[in-house]
Amino acid sequence: MDKISDFILRAEKIDRRWIFLIIGLAVLLPLFFPLGLPIRATIATQKVYDAIEALEDNSKVLVSFEYGPSTKPEIHPMAIGLLKHLFTNGHKVYVTCLWPDGLFMADEALTEVAEEEFNLTYGEDYVILGFRPGNEAVVKGMVSNIRKLFTTDVRGTLVDDIPLMKNINKVADFDFIFSASAGYPGTIEWVQYASDPTGVPLSTGTTSIMVNDIMPMVNSGQVQGILAGMPGAAEYEALIGSPGIGTSGMDAQSIAHLVIVLFIIFGNIAYFIEVQRSKKY
Amino acid sequence: MIGSWIAVFLTLAIFSYLYKDNPFYKVAEHLFVGISTGYWTSMFFWTQIQPNLFGRLWPASQYNPDSIWYKFYNLLGIFSSVFPDGGINKGHHMDLLYLLPFALGIMMLLSVSSKLSWMARWGIAYTVGMAAGLRAYGFLNSNVLGQIKGSAFQIFNSDLPFFALASESIFNNFIILIGTITGLMYFYFSREHTGNFGKLSKLGIYFLMVSFGASFGFAVMGRVSLLIGRFVDLIAYAGPAYNHATLWLLLVMVLLLGYSAFSDKNNTSENESTLE
Repeated sequence: MDKISDFILRAEKIDRRWIFLIIGLAVLLPLFFPLGLPIRATIATQKVYDAIEALEDNSKVLVSFEYGPSTKPEIHPMAIGLLKHLFTNGHKVYVTCLWPDGLFMADEALTEVAEEEFNLTYGEDYVILGFRPGNEAVVKGMVSNIRKLFTTDVRGTLVDDIPLMKNINKVADFDFIFSASAGYPGTIEWVQYASDPTGVPLSTGTTSIMVNDIMPMVNSGQVQGILAGMPGAAEYEALIGSPGIGTSGMDAQSIAHLVIVLFIIFGNIAYFIEVQRSKKY
Repeated sequence: MIGSWIAVFLTLAIFSYLYKDNPFYKVAEHLFVGISTGYWTSMFFWTQIQPNLFGRLWPASQYNPDSIWYKFYNLLGIFSSVFPDGGINKGHHMDLLYLLPFALGIMMLLSVSSKLSWMARWGIAYTVGMAAGLRAYGFLNSNVLGQIKGSAFQIFNSDLPFFALASESIFNNFIILIGTITGLMYFYFSREHTGNFGKLSKLGIYFLMVSFGASFGFAVMGRVSLLIGRFVDLIAYAGPAYNHATLWLLLVMVLLLGYSAFSDKNNTSENESTLE
């Protein structure tokens, strides 16, 4: 027993770079050799899916891109999945960005889904209004008058000349809002200044780290479900029947979590052995 | 093609910090800071200041080359990409009220001058006042009233089952209510945390610890997702379509870092022997 304890205490003092290497391998190997672990949708993800399914045909959906390259692996798969779901159900999509780099993410996602996969027409089936700085002031401005804030779209076309923008003057003119959010400004600002005051239903997809902040709003019914990080994206891809980047990353995610949990258990055992020994001597 | 090689180099350069601080990491770090600043400045100027500020001060729809206002505008025409001939056509009408935020913005920039830095306070005061007013309403409505409604009233919802393991139920809502109240009690410092009050506030600590644990778990999950994202890109760039960019750059960086570590070790031993 003492030998095992000694080994654990010695192992606790190994160079932390070995731990980095093990975590790296735990993530890398499943990407080369997928295990095909099952993916089941959580209630929060199911709520998002049900909210989109409940929309009437030809609904006007405002999708806000509030993430950039640094959080792309988490949010982009869910943005792709959501756009596929919206276009499959025949809805019209209006895109805004509260983050400047969200513009690139929106452009990339819509090129892949709207243009290449669904062959849709810009200005008739979807439009990118673009980015405006001002954080929550932008959301508040859109609630009052979108046309004052966005006089042109991202391609420089006057908003008045875009067919899809007919009868769209404020947030209340939309049937649904989806916020693909990686932080501030993002989902919370959309709830505070757009969804709660106007009553337009809102769903969100966020980074994992934001989930605890948004979950109370999901429980209170202020937000119609949440796609929580990459697992949320994978669950949504499973629901719409279109496996993508989220699904392919889930094996690596699961194995990495398992390894981290083992490290935590190992660290705690070492801690308790140390405490016991210090009491003994 | 060049873009993929740059992306691979910068990703590996940042990862190299896991080994130790090194010049590759420093290059990537400084590039990130510089490019981010430049990108944000440029983006803010071209999406807000030029179209929404200058576009309202000198709109094309009211362009009159004989007026003093537009004569001044034409003088600015040397910067033709910002102030094009015939006014700025962004769908706005003239609104000279926008001179006020223009002036406040310039005053904020004066913080770089030691004599005129006091003027920056006006712009900052406006921003702080506006943000505080705007946020007070949002927080009160959504974070306070909305959450009280969500936490308290749902325990009387007869449509919900009494107990469910993961989905919404009266029992789970009751737990949320207890957690909220005891958590708030922990942060009530006007009374000593003893007796029954102390026990309840201790229960609040347990709820808080569960919340912190969940936050940590989600944070780990997020970081692993980002790592997966970078690995997926690195694997893609290792293919023949990109001339095996990942493999070549990884090899070069490992060799250089290895050589550097070897030289450092030799220098250290030489210094030690000189001291002896």
